[in-house]
Amino acid sequence: MEIEIKNQDDQELVFTIEGADVSLVNALRRIATVEVPTLAIETVQFTRNDARIFDEALAHRLGLVPIITDLEVVIPQEECDCEDYCSRCSVSFTLKGKGPKTLYSGDLKSSDPQIKPVLDTIPLVKLREGEELELEAIAQLGTGSQHAKWQPTTSCAYKHYPQITIDLDKCEACGLCADQCPRSVYRLDEKENKIEVVDLENCSMCNTCSKDCPNQAITVEGLRDKFIFRIESDGSFPPKEILSLACDLLSLKADTILDFL
Amino acid sequence: MIPIRCLSCGKVVSAYFDEYQKRVQDGEDSKKVLDDLGLKRYCCRRMLIAHVEVW
Ligand SMILES: [Zn+2]
Repeated sequence: MEIEIKNQDDQELVFTIEGADVSLVNALRRIATVEVPTLAIETVQFTRNDARIFDEALAHRLGLVPIITDLEVVIPQEECDCEDYCSRCSVSFTLKGKGPKTLYSGDLKSSDPQIKPVLDTIPLVKLREGEELELEAIAQLGTGSQHAKWQPTTSCAYKHYPQITIDLDKCEACGLCADQCPRSVYRLDEKENKIEVVDLENCSMCNTCSKDCPNQAITVEGLRDKFIFRIESDGSFPPKEILSLACDLLSLKADTILDFL
Repeated sequence: MIPIRCLSCGKVVSAYFDEYQKRVQDGEDSKKVLDDLGLKRYCCRRMLIAHVEVW
């Protein structure tokens, strides 16, 4: 199996994987989205809420705030011996404010300085003159299969690696494919009077080119054993870590089968 | 208030709304602002373009 990283930053990881099949790549995708645990706010206790937003609606907004997660610091509630939450299986945040003011995710005060919201600029609630708000929010570990707020990924998807074949005997270099392609995959080289594929990996295999070609000179296929995989993180982990956690979980599952046998 | 995340893909779009609104009000082209903010998908872009702050 060959893996090549195409692009990597703190938000996104794009790589190609060759010599794998759909079952493996899709298993990784599914585990990365719904089984890698992250922190999200699960319980909110309101001391005071004069704002025009209902407690439930604000609690829901709080739940969707992504939180930088460290699996070494917090343990899942199921593995903890407490009943609801305690300092081992949760992180507490407090939010307090008096209007006129908008409270942002950056106003959430964490009980653990290392664990805080990924972004500080998420508007949570607006307070008008004289309105006050005070609450405690408890973040716990969970997985995307329980609730989407625990998904560590936003866009996490793969596609087959595209393969474009142009039959040069049929192609008349009319340039229609270059004009029609919504992803700018082709370019008409007017000097050479030839169609060039300039951005193969951007091809979405929509087949607009092959349908529009007056001479049926283009074939677009997806390679069976090569994929382009993209993981975009919500910030709770770096994307590479999500992938490596997903691989760990997959091998754990495989071990369970072996034990069973 | 603007939803915290994009309704389709889950990206946290609300964090960029204040900046988006301010820059567009100051006369910048919204296409350019969205590109700058790194909102590439049309699902996320419509969240900011279509949002009307009513309260
Ligand atoms: Zn989106």
